Amino acid sequence: MTCPHLEYRDGDHADTERAYCTVVDAFVEPMRADICNDRFDLSHGAHCEFYREAEGLDGEGDGS
Amino acid sequence: MTGYDDYLAGEPVIITVALTGGVHGKEANPNLPETPAEVAAAAADAEDAGASIAHLHARKPNGERSFATERFQELTEAVSETTDLVVQHSTGGTGAPLEARRQPLRTDPAPEMASLDMGPLNRYRHLTSENPRAMVDDLYDEMAARGIKPELEAFNDGHVNEVHGLLDRKDLDEPYHTTLIFGGGTLTPANPRNLLNAVRNLPDGATFNTLGFGPHQLPFATLGTILGGHVRVGLEDNVYFERGELAASNAQLVERVVGVVRTLGREPATPDEARDILDL
Repeated sequence: MTCPHLEYRDGDHADTERAYCTVVDAFVEPMRADICNDRFDLSHGAHCEFYREAEGLDGEGDGS
Repeated sequence: MTGYDDYLAGEPVIITVALTGGVHGKEANPNLPETPAEVAAAAADAEDAGASIAHLHARKPNGERSFATERFQELTEAVSETTDLVVQHSTGGTGAPLEARRQPLRTDPAPEMASLDMGPLNRYRHLTSENPRAMVDDLYDEMAARGIKPELEAFNDGHVNEVHGLLDRKDLDEPYHTTLIFGGGTLTPANPRNLLNAVRNLPDGATFNTLGFGPHQLPFATLGTILGGHVRVGLEDNVYFERGELAASNAQLVERVVGVVRTLGREPATPDEARDILDL
């Protein structure tokens, strides 16, 4: 499941829509976008500190 | 092993340019090339500036990571059409399974070289790029089967031990081209003494490539040149030219290190000289 805080937005640095994190109000780097999208072995619930902090999960283990 | 004698002898320096990477993109520096056309143009400029190896990662059109053979095929064809650079595909991939990380090795033709991460490193707060030995061995076996020269990436001193372990387990051809990486986090602390130690701990038959992340790129390239090694620069590893000033291009970073290399009495290797040195 994709992170609920992920949006794809136009940016002034590229022609394509880019991954944007509404928790930190910033475009995220490509490797983080794989976490936002739960690609491969990655999971926003386990691996993203921004999501975990926003959801109050930090301090409850890594979620994996 | 390469060493100070090679410096004194003025042996050529192989300059690897890490053009794009996969961790950050244009959000970090808008001058970072992402598409095959952008990467190929940047590679040509870097070759003109003195680079001899292009270290490549593939991306999707929106800049996100891709491990697909088809993306690497498109990328490597674009670079090979515009340059004579040695092509080196990355097999790195935090969070990606072995099957994805094999894909960059399966282009036609195979890349001349591919990176091989020698062990784990931490990313962000909750993530580790694991690179277990079984994965390292499987990737190496596929490289060997396809005639691809591995570039052994040692992110810290423990990974130098892993280089020795890989040589115990597998029959690699000399030279064992090892990239010694310095910076923060899981990397070897960027202290010049640590480079001296790392070089001393390399196996006989190794060549080494010096890579400092961020502000350590130029000083560690300089140190590596003096110690008879080779160097890696590029926007994958460092998006700045100076503190607070984004780099204009990969070629700008290559030009600067070429100036250092020549000032120190060595010449940048041509791509064919790099092939000879690395026995490609």
